[in-house]
Amino acid sequence: MRYETVIGLEVHVELATQSKIFCSCHAKYGAEPNAHVCPACCGMPGMLPVVNKRVVDFGMKAGMMLNCTINRTTTFDKKSYYYPDLPCAYQTTQWFAPVAVNGLVEIETSKGKKNIRIKQIHMEEDAGKLVHDIGADVTCVDFNRTSVPLIEIVSQPDLSSAEEVEAYLERLKNLLRYAKVAECAMEHGTMRCDVNLSVRPEGSDQLGVRTEMKNMNSIDAIKRAISYEVARHIDAIENGTEVLIQETRRWDDIKGKSYSMRSKETAGDYRYFPDPNIMPVVIDDAWYNAIQASLPEFPEVKRARYISELGLSEYDAAQLTKSIAVCECFEEAYAVCKSAKDAANWLLSEAMSILSSRKMTPDRLSVNGKSLGELIQLVTGGKVGRANGKKILDAMFDDANLNPAEYAEQNGLIVSNDTGLMEQVAKEVLAGEEKAVADFRAGKEKALAAILGKCMKQLKGNCNPQVLREFLISEIGKM
Amino acid sequence: MKLYTAKSDTSAAKKIVADDMLLTKDMPTAAGSKMLDGYMSLFEAEAITKLCAAGYGICGKASVGEFAIDLLGETSYYGAPSVDGKLTNAAVEILKTDDAMAAVGLDINGSIRRAAAQSGFVSVKPTYGTVSRYGTIPVACSGETVCVTAKNIADCREVLDVLVGHDDKDGTSLSESECSRLNSASGAEAIRSVAVISELSADIDDETKAKLNAAKETLQANGVSVEEISEPLFAAARIAWNILMCAELCNNVSRYDGVKYGYRTENYTCMDDLYTNTRTEAFGDLLKTAILFGSDTLSTENYMREYDKALRVRRLVSERFAKLFEQYDAVLIPACSKAAYTEETVKADPYIAFSENLYTAPASLTGLPTVTAGGVQLIGKAFSENALFEAAKRYE
Amino acid sequence: MDKDTLRKLELLNQLSLNETQKEHVLAFFQSREQELAVLNTFNTDDVARMVHVMPIMTVVRDDVAAQPFSRDDLQKGAPETNQGYWCVPRVVE
Repeated sequence: MRYETVIGLEVHVELATQSKIFCSCHAKYGAEPNAHVCPACCGMPGMLPVVNKRVVDFGMKAGMMLNCTINRTTTFDKKSYYYPDLPCAYQTTQWFAPVAVNGLVEIETSKGKKNIRIKQIHMEEDAGKLVHDIGADVTCVDFNRTSVPLIEIVSQPDLSSAEEVEAYLERLKNLLRYAKVAECAMEHGTMRCDVNLSVRPEGSDQLGVRTEMKNMNSIDAIKRAISYEVARHIDAIENGTEVLIQETRRWDDIKGKSYSMRSKETAGDYRYFPDPNIMPVVIDDAWYNAIQASLPEFPEVKRARYISELGLSEYDAAQLTKSIAVCECFEEAYAVCKSAKDAANWLLSEAMSILSSRKMTPDRLSVNGKSLGELIQLVTGGKVGRANGKKILDAMFDDANLNPAEYAEQNGLIVSNDTGLMEQVAKEVLAGEEKAVADFRAGKEKALAAILGKCMKQLKGNCNPQVLREFLISEIGKM
Repeated sequence: MKLYTAKSDTSAAKKIVADDMLLTKDMPTAAGSKMLDGYMSLFEAEAITKLCAAGYGICGKASVGEFAIDLLGETSYYGAPSVDGKLTNAAVEILKTDDAMAAVGLDINGSIRRAAAQSGFVSVKPTYGTVSRYGTIPVACSGETVCVTAKNIADCREVLDVLVGHDDKDGTSLSESECSRLNSASGAEAIRSVAVISELSADIDDETKAKLNAAKETLQANGVSVEEISEPLFAAARIAWNILMCAELCNNVSRYDGVKYGYRTENYTCMDDLYTNTRTEAFGDLLKTAILFGSDTLSTENYMREYDKALRVRRLVSERFAKLFEQYDAVLIPACSKAAYTEETVKADPYIAFSENLYTAPASLTGLPTVTAGGVQLIGKAFSENALFEAAKRYE
Repeated sequence: MDKDTLRKLELLNQLSLNETQKEHVLAFFQSREQELAVLNTFNTDDVARMVHVMPIMTVVRDDVAAQPFSRDDLQKGAPETNQGYWCVPRVVE
């Protein structure tokens, strides 16, 4: 029998705000344990929640990016359970009237395009972090992440393969980064995912037994977990190896297996109720319109524009628009150097190779686009050699304020107009390369390249290669 | 027994006693619970900050019943305050000694109003949202209110005026312009007609009945019309309030778990033991019952029929009050059924606080202001505190 | 409310009652259905629930961070701390 997989995702994304959702503590990632904590977020009584405007801004923005309907009156609710990372033993979240509902996200896989429906997006507070390796027999609790704002994006069970899940997650990341609402770094835990999965005979309209894997934080691990779970479910259905039950499972990526989490008798009874301390958030027209006006150009709109207005190839346009950081750098560079093709080339070849040598993703690109444009002008204007241009770009990765022209000057990377020096070096090199000269005369073009390279090296690259080449050919002719 | 913790260095001429639901920085705040015995807050209640800024001095903290949901304070970890076999309230006892001109506290389930009624003092429960709840121990946030008790209306009013005002730190705090409606003279339209609710005037003892009659007669003698009407809905307010109060309480006291501060059991080997033994050892019986009841009203099974129903009844009661206020200026009811409680009262019925709140629940449920004076309670429309004070002056 | 349900309720709320307390709590729960019946005499089919008694809306705050409380102060009353962490018995998943 053939089977189909039914997957729904709950994606938690930490919002890129300065302060927490209900108190003013820093929301920044990375600090001493419990340095970003106040009486409210460590569970002491008496402080009252005051909603951070930017959290609502970002919740709305995320909703608009995912084609959701925004609830113009949105409310907060309390969810109760005991766990040491939850200092009040309740989490403030949205249960009855989430900020955004009924969205749609288009994904593209090898099988073509597909729409994934979004059930809702709700705003909530994150929990703290438990550390298990400080002392024997104790678990240590860090509340720095407690009350950091999150949105949870709940999809309908519209996904049917690991490939679609990957495309969906990449799409979410791309859209949320475009809107600047979140970093979406799974490696930092600022994007996490619960995977709900079931398997059923192809064509069936009944859902199979659903299992949930919580807190997945790597796309590769999610893909492995999905293929393991699908195989486990099919095996259970076909061979009766086990009885599937609706449960929460933990994925062990090292062992490549999922495990049943021993669930408490009382699990799941969260006793949601409206938070009496948080009045309804009413989004008036002015607020709604301001957020709508602040939406970025969507990736596909940008892509089409790069092709039609800037004359880029489909490939280049697609590559650039994968990351908003790259797009911004590109647009700034283009504004200065006026050549879209050059700007795209420099970003897609030189900048990408530096990024990969530094093991950075394109979203971490921190190069100042205006400076990149100036650098491109220096190179196309013949003032700096291409190889030296790449060196300057590398330095720009370390210093966003670096001025390429000044840097080239200070580091002797300007192409010299001193033809005397060039002639002197060329003559010296040619004198020691009799064999290469003979080879060239015999028709071996490559031999000239070797000579040219040696000259360039002695000139530290500060020479117009075309001028040098012509000079060498004429000198060889004279010899 | 620490029913009262005095602060020695108060030089202010006008002294205020705070009840133990208000956080203080220089004195412990225990909310009457073993769970918070000796708990030192890092910040203080906005009410206390405002009083100190206005030149008043906090002379000490008076014990409350555990999380202030009982009759008068008898479930306090520090013991039941009583005088001559009669239960009393710690803050009221301080007022009697003349050490303080007024008491500020958090009214959750009517204990402050009952204490005022039984002692003959004056207490105001202002319109919900006009006094900041920042820095109060949260229990039933949708209805609890910072209240003032004093020996006379003038003192009560003076202190309330200091407390009223918007606070950015409290998301339920009304705007400054809304708050000022309460302070302005325009809010003090004279009360000319009063409704007495028959369901809330039956089953009261003779002494309480006498106080109610005295108030009625005095009002009538001053040209106020008094009419007795039947409002079964107002008697049901108590049921709705018990559901909402206990559910919110359950959620609010779940933070006390032996992890961050406060009491921690010595008897644990795992996390669940730590939680359960801490809470079992530190919480009293009434609180435990309230937690369990509140939790169950929020369960998937009961939410709609119980919690959601209570929220809808709250609106019905609120709308019914609004309707009444088209016809009457205020509602006059007792604050409790008895002139005094004894330890036996509570022994015979440990849950009496959840039935005796018949008289206090309507205003708790709706956030309407009340002035308790002369042993009875006058409920008015929102922001009508000044009018209530003026009317109560007749019989205080 | 029976003893089994009560036991679950205790677990859910991290409480453990002795037999006497259980009897007392069960007694309290006895009046519940009767009281619900009283509430149900009032038709609320077309009545919106009222969470907040005042018809105001949230006043949001600006996204500005501040850190006025020190960790040492926050942990002064803590039952157990280590290297800036609050500590609990080992929690295993």
